[in-house]
Amino acid sequence: MKIGIPKGLLYYKYHPFFMTFFTELGAETIVSEDTNKSILDLGVKHCVDEACMPVKVFHGHVASLRDKCDAILIPRIMQIRKREYICPKFCGLPEMVVYNIPDLPAVISEPIYATDDKRLYEWAKEAGRLVTRDRNTIRRAFEKAVSVQNEYDIGINTLSYEMKVALAGHPYNIYDSYSNMNIVRKLNALGIGIITEEFVDEEEVDSEVGKLFKRPFWTFARNTYGFLATAYEKKLCDGVIYISSFACGIDSVLIELVKERIGDFPFMVLKIDEHTGEAGVNTRIEAFVDMLERRKTYEDNVPSYGQCVPCSQGSF
Amino acid sequence: MKITFPHMGNVYLAVKALFDGLGIEYVIPPKNSKKTLEIGSLHSPEEICLPYKIMIGNYVQAAEMGADTVLLTGSCGPCRFGEYCEMQMNLLNKLGHDFKFIVIDAPGDIGVSELFNRIAEISTKSRMSKHKKLQCVKYALDVINLTDKLDAKAHWLAGYERKREECKKLLHASKRDAARCSNPKEMIKLLKDYEKKFDNVELDLDKDPVKIAIIGEIYTVIEPFSNLYIEDKLMSYGVSTRRELTPSWWVKNMVMSPTRLNSLDLKRHSKEYLRLEIGGHARECIGEAVKAYEDGLDGAIQIFPMGCMPEIVSKAILPRISKDKNFPIMTLVVDEMTGEAGYVTRIEAFLDLLERRKEHVLSGS
Repeated sequence: MKIGIPKGLLYYKYHPFFMTFFTELGAETIVSEDTNKSILDLGVKHCVDEACMPVKVFHGHVASLRDKCDAILIPRIMQIRKREYICPKFCGLPEMVVYNIPDLPAVISEPIYATDDKRLYEWAKEAGRLVTRDRNTIRRAFEKAVSVQNEYDIGINTLSYEMKVALAGHPYNIYDSYSNMNIVRKLNALGIGIITEEFVDEEEVDSEVGKLFKRPFWTFARNTYGFLATAYEKKLCDGVIYISSFACGIDSVLIELVKERIGDFPFMVLKIDEHTGEAGVNTRIEAFVDMLERRKTYEDNVPSYGQCVPCSQGSF
Repeated sequence: MKITFPHMGNVYLAVKALFDGLGIEYVIPPKNSKKTLEIGSLHSPEEICLPYKIMIGNYVQAAEMGADTVLLTGSCGPCRFGEYCEMQMNLLNKLGHDFKFIVIDAPGDIGVSELFNRIAEISTKSRMSKHKKLQCVKYALDVINLTDKLDAKAHWLAGYERKREECKKLLHASKRDAARCSNPKEMIKLLKDYEKKFDNVELDLDKDPVKIAIIGEIYTVIEPFSNLYIEDKLMSYGVSTRRELTPSWWVKNMVMSPTRLNSLDLKRHSKEYLRLEIGGHARECIGEAVKAYEDGLDGAIQIFPMGCMPEIVSKAILPRISKDKNFPIMTLVVDEMTGEAGYVTRIEAFLDLLERRKEHVLSGS
């Protein structure tokens, strides 16, 4: 049996789990290719117009796997942490895909509650049944998959550069180098290192998030807010670049909360969608880096005359 | 303390009845208008959804009238609405308005005692006995149920009336008069009188009007300003409309939700296409669409603000329902840029389509 795994959305974070699980069950896994133009085009063709780009890209990945496998994994990730959600689109992802892409093979779309191993195993039982009837095999594959996932670290923290930028955003925007037009490499080429949210301790995130009036109920929002607030407070970086998909509901809230928290700290939001032109992105990154450099070299942070214009009100 | 609250359809009448009864000072923000939206979109983040912008407009206008406290309900996701309170507090602070926010949130999140504390912040301002206070809450519930009933009646009967726009006029008159009442009992009596008046509207029961279900995101379907008064427009066209999402439905749904017995029929109808709760009212939207088909309505119009996460999911599912059941569904996305002319053209085209389907039997094949 061939299981197709689309390389979109939270694949970047959880692929060791899914890959190991299905391989251990004895199924063959086939992963769609890296995101590219034709996948994006396929996604735009099949997906509802209003959706954000990562969801469209995911549609493209599924469509590209359509004729290559017997079943496609569409993870319906409901929760990763207790009392928190991901995004409504993740909960309804299988429906969006199944009703819009014709001629799909079987689909694995059981809800995933990854709050603890026991609830996650509920998913494994259902999903594994497609491949094998043997409960023990499923159990073993599940345990192996969890342990492989726990050992897996993503996250970028480059130490060799003098200046550093905190790269924030949803994991699929940061790690899908086609969607973000290779921003990591572009920054490195300009002599800028990068730190991502995986390098901040949970306790620090919790303490930052605890200061909010309303507990954020999205896992993305909690992680990113906690990360940026800590990075700002502890001076882990010289500036923040936030990669955000156009029309992302979570980001529209989160960016405001972050701006409120970090005040005048250099902060740039890069909006990406299926129309983003690379030249414009390059220009903005270069301008931002120039600003960071000048800030470091020349600026004494004392306004020469009158009031300084905080970047929250200014051009960024 | 002068309490204000954002507009949402007829809710202001119920809140008015409540505070009139309790004897608490309050400010009803001016009715939503272009001005409200202009103020709102000037100050709000660009990508936030339309309800947020209108609400900001409401607060700013209410502040000009002397309000200093905002009463708002909360929710705990995954829809954006739950984050409104925090963002709006920050924003209003920046604008220099010193508002105190009272957020009535789900007890599961803030704890039962905190919820009672927050309610007490309002209720202690009233010098009445506990019994009387509860009575006032009951009045407010009566008002919201009655206004919703009047709405539903007017919207449905508009298709059958002999004299064009009679229902519409009656409905508007009822709201105008209700807003003038100074105590809840008077308002309830007045609304009941209007209910009777609707029974006297001359009807032509042989008519077979086009019947449409209005579905979609709760704020944009309930607040007429945000959907460019679509229900009024349809009433003028002589179209019967039905809408399940109302403030009274919301109250009932919220009270019943801990028992999981809330809106069972919508859950049952949505089962085939979306079997899980995904946040917002996406599931209700799907359920309503299927229910509208089964009840023999001619079509459905989905309305949601640009970027609404749950409704995007339901928008992705609706075409399939439409195809499977041969049931026309149109989606209208609204935001502060929506132009009325284009909007009206789409509605008219949709009505034409429905009418022709009715007249030509061929449509069934």
